[in-house]
Amino acid sequence: MSSSRAENALLVAGKTLSVAMMVAGFLFLLGPIVIVVISSFTSASYLTFPPPEFSLRWYYEVFSLSWFSRSIVTSFVIAIIATAISAVLGILVARALARGTFRAKAIVEFVVLTPLLLPIVVLGFGLFNLLVTLALEGHNFVNLIGGHIMITVPFVVRSVWSAMAGTDITLEEASLGLGATPFETFRNVVLPMARPGIISGGILAFTMSFNDVSLSIFLTGPRASTLPVEMMAHIEYSADPTPAAISTIMLAITLIIFAVTSRTVGLKIFA
Amino acid sequence: MLSATQRNWALSLPAFVIVGLLAVVPAVMMLASAFTSPDIEGFTLANFEKLWNSKLAFQAFWRTIRVAIIVTLITIVLGYPLAIGFLRAGPRMQSILLPMLVFPLMVSVVVRAYGWIVVLSPSGIFNQVLLGLGIVASPVDLLYSETAVILGESQLLLPYMVLSLMASLQKAESNLEEASMSLGANPVTTFFRIVIPISVPGLLTGTLLVFALALTAFATPLLLGGGRAPLLTTLIYSFAFTTFDWSAAAAVGLVLVILALAFVWLQRWVGQKVMKSYE
Repeated sequence: MSSSRAENALLVAGKTLSVAMMVAGFLFLLGPIVIVVISSFTSASYLTFPPPEFSLRWYYEVFSLSWFSRSIVTSFVIAIIATAISAVLGILVARALARGTFRAKAIVEFVVLTPLLLPIVVLGFGLFNLLVTLALEGHNFVNLIGGHIMITVPFVVRSVWSAMAGTDITLEEASLGLGATPFETFRNVVLPMARPGIISGGILAFTMSFNDVSLSIFLTGPRASTLPVEMMAHIEYSADPTPAAISTIMLAITLIIFAVTSRTVGLKIFA
Repeated sequence: MLSATQRNWALSLPAFVIVGLLAVVPAVMMLASAFTSPDIEGFTLANFEKLWNSKLAFQAFWRTIRVAIIVTLITIVLGYPLAIGFLRAGPRMQSILLPMLVFPLMVSVVVRAYGWIVVLSPSGIFNQVLLGLGIVASPVDLLYSETAVILGESQLLLPYMVLSLMASLQKAESNLEEASMSLGANPVTTFFRIVIPISVPGLLTGTLLVFALALTAFATPLLLGGGRAPLLTTLIYSFAFTTFDWSAAAAVGLVLVILALAFVWLQRWVGQKVMKSYE
């Protein structure tokens, strides 16, 4: 019997250890984020944890910063425009890739998905190089939109393509056979069936565009800059708690997108 | 009426042209410029020779690989308990844990790196704990070091490892474990003989994914390593904007692309092999 008791002890020890390691893993994953949120409500003029007293001081400070209001608006506008254009481009090409068996399919697929293969820093520096050669590097806003479209299109293509590939082609044939035009069929049959893929692709594209640094850092300039790039610059030359307050604001925005995601298409799209 | 081929081309053309002109053409032109130099006419390997002789570039190359390996190992060690714990939890618990696992993936990389700046700074909680426990006499300067980069990237990429492991462990039935235990194997034996082998496909995809993402991470090493621990990605940036040596930046870019593409290729090759052996 003693061996089974030893085994039981081992089992309990193993269970305790695995729970402890799991807690440690989640602390590692979420601890720094939680600490930033708590630190942002400090009354001190430098970062301390725990804060000596709680105050909203740094939030007032953040909303009075002109670069913050400017760059958060720019980030939203760029993310919305880039997502919308990426969605249209992505849906069209996904349609061709999902249903078509044309000779150039492999080339189209390769080109459209290239941004997934290359490091984003390389794409950013490459685009920056070309823009300098063409003397177009000053048009920060347009360049950022173009760049963001380029890195987000593959995400839309992948999720819309897989959604379209899973749909029943006979429904389209039925629609055409019953006298609907190809355009009506596309609008009323094909698009609704691909809806989950379109929503997932759109959410991924928006998140990616809103958070991007690796590409945007090469394209921002005096005319337009995004929030993550501006925040990064601020972190590098100043030690006050404003980035903590900005981080908390960005976390709140992320939480909203996150809630929308889990209500609509589910969290599996990130897995 | 358009033919099917014409229609497919018409559908593909906008995305094809835009991604081609903004991603493929500029990247290829930039990588080709690694073989040119403002001082030399025509094709040259001068930039690569310069990198080869540069201590900074050499260190950045090995640091990039070292960081990627250590980050992958950390995510494996932390990933298994998380994946196994998640799958053993009840459905209620799972519905709480999954958002906690996926949410960090959506959070800005800058925010996550900033979290480590707050934690690791001289007056941060990490040093407070060490000082309070009497482990160190004065604050440890961990920020702007390779260690900080490793910590930041591990936190960044841990969810990918956990999700990959979960995907393969999920397929295995938990009664396989129960069978092993009831047939007399102890939990340790069960873990190494049953759980680990079942998770191999997930471990492989997770490892390759985390490694590839660690190789190309940019904002985390820039914020947490600064100039003191440059990686290939941050070296491109500092060559481009600090020393304005664009040919050198292009050469570093080419090295990085070769590393990254080798991994993509390895990923596909392993993927096919694993698929076949588990069919």
